Amino acid sequence: MLLVQTLNALQYSMLLFMLAVGLSIVLGLMNFANMAHGTLYMIGAFVGFSTVGTTGSFWLGCLAGPAAAAMLGAIFYFTILQRIQNESPLVQVLVTFGLILVGLDLVRMVWGDIPKSITSPPLLSGSVKILGETYPTYRLFICSLGVSLFALLYLCLERTRIGAVIRAGVDDKVMTSALGINVDLAFFVVFCLGCALAGLAGVAAAPLLQIHPGMDMDIIIPTLIVVVIGGPGSLTGAFFGSMVIGFTETFGAVFLPSVSSFVIYVLLAGVLLLRPEGLMAGRYSR
Amino acid sequence: MNNDVKYLRSLSAVAILVASIIVWWMAGYIGHELLGEIAVYAILAMSLDLLVGYAGMASLGHALYFALAAYCTAGLTVFFAWPASVAITAAIAASTVAAALIGYIVVRSSGIFFLMTTLAFGQMGWTYFSLSPRFGAIEGLSGVAQIDLSPIGLSLSNPGDFAIVSIVICAAAYLALATVVDSPFGHALLAIQQNENRARALGIPTLRYKVVAFTIGGAVAGLAGALAAERTQFVSPELAAWSLSGDVLVMVIVGGVGTLIGPIIGAVIWVIFRHGLSEITPYWLMWVGIFFIAVMLFARGGVFGAIEILWQKRRA
Repeated sequence: MLLVQTLNALQYSMLLFMLAVGLSIVLGLMNFANMAHGTLYMIGAFVGFSTVGTTGSFWLGCLAGPAAAAMLGAIFYFTILQRIQNESPLVQVLVTFGLILVGLDLVRMVWGDIPKSITSPPLLSGSVKILGETYPTYRLFICSLGVSLFALLYLCLERTRIGAVIRAGVDDKVMTSALGINVDLAFFVVFCLGCALAGLAGVAAAPLLQIHPGMDMDIIIPTLIVVVIGGPGSLTGAFFGSMVIGFTETFGAVFLPSVSSFVIYVLLAGVLLLRPEGLMAGRYSR
Repeated sequence: MNNDVKYLRSLSAVAILVASIIVWWMAGYIGHELLGEIAVYAILAMSLDLLVGYAGMASLGHALYFALAAYCTAGLTVFFAWPASVAITAAIAASTVAAALIGYIVVRSSGIFFLMTTLAFGQMGWTYFSLSPRFGAIEGLSGVAQIDLSPIGLSLSNPGDFAIVSIVICAAAYLALATVVDSPFGHALLAIQQNENRARALGIPTLRYKVVAFTIGGAVAGLAGALAAERTQFVSPELAAWSLSGDVLVMVIVGGVGTLIGPIIGAVIWVIFRHGLSEITPYWLMWVGIFFIAVMLFARGGVFGAIEILWQKRRA
């Protein structure tokens, strides 16, 4: 029981992490608050659904969803984001809120209102026995996907040249540009990567949760909370922030169902008021 | 703000009032329903404009005070059989107190943090309403009692009567907010919006003024909420959803932020888009979104901002 709940919490945390990491890095790097991040998650899920439907391959869906999200992200970057990048956060939040409205109806137009779902691939559709408890393999897959993505991103950020550029950019954008580094290009790459991860999260979530127009609204608030708690621009912050929210929500729903839904909002308000730089404010976020 | 613009605003306010009465005179059942809906949104949007357009506080949780008053009106009339007039007074008082308490906490943050903090409080309210079995959880609660207006020969269950009452209330709310905005206090709010540090250096107690503005905004939003509960005789957690706070922000911006007239125009556009476009296409929200993004990118002043610019050009 406890083990199953722990794994459930971990699996939910990892979904949140895949969403939060893109949002967090974009907020930290570009100071850009993208409310439409959840829309990319939704579109990734639906494109994945159609790909699985036509090709029959779950793994192709796992490629197509993120690719579609990244492509939309790139279009958004060149048409709108560049114009409002230096505007106040209010303008950014409002424009991307407008995009949420547009994205929602576009998805309804193409895929309709009826909730859909992707079946998990045969390889992962069974369940395994862990310490005497049976647990669905697919959920374990999400856990390991999230953890390995975190490890991969961490290595990229710490050990590669582009990682160094990103760290420098978060630290001091102007100084980094002055050193002859094309920070805007690095931001563009990171932005698209973040969008792709949101799309991947959408496909990955599809076998567990139903996909429907409006799923973006359900996920964007917890994701924002993760970003705030972890501290914008921090990879480890996004990871541990996801764990805090994932475990609080999952265990809260089991042990304190009447209070648990409030807890994450109280946590959000508390962090914002007492430590606006985030609980895990690390060396990359100022 | 020069006297020319002030003149235009007063003129527009009178024009809108006259136009709405003419529309009311000519409209049938559906027209009256729409007028009532517009009035509720207009009051809510004006109250948010006081925060966004004057005090520079963009709240993403403004629907909370709207919903709180609606739920209080519902709860007090349904569970305790209070007379609607008393229940509404208590409901608006509750919204005012809640806005004062929350405002006292949230004014300390600004920018994106202010958005997120107000969102957090709004979501707490939404969570409560959507979980509380007493209030019917996500199903909502119906059977809200209406104010008995038979002494003056009106009945709120009749959409025509409701529309004219709500137009009067909307006009009163405009007058009240216009008075606030025109007062020295309102000018101080504008100073805070433009440069908070300078305003503080000039001796304006900025935090206290922001709390007061937040409280007034909450009170007027509460008025809108009570009116909404009276209109449909039904409350549901949708009233507290963060997407409603976003929708109202859209109305304020599309109409023209910081003008008080703009939010009324925004509410008219929103309701007409919703009902007019939904006859033609189920995807009306997309067109609202596209229109809104275009306003944000190319005409930050919104519809009324454009009218003001044209007006000043004509005079020049």
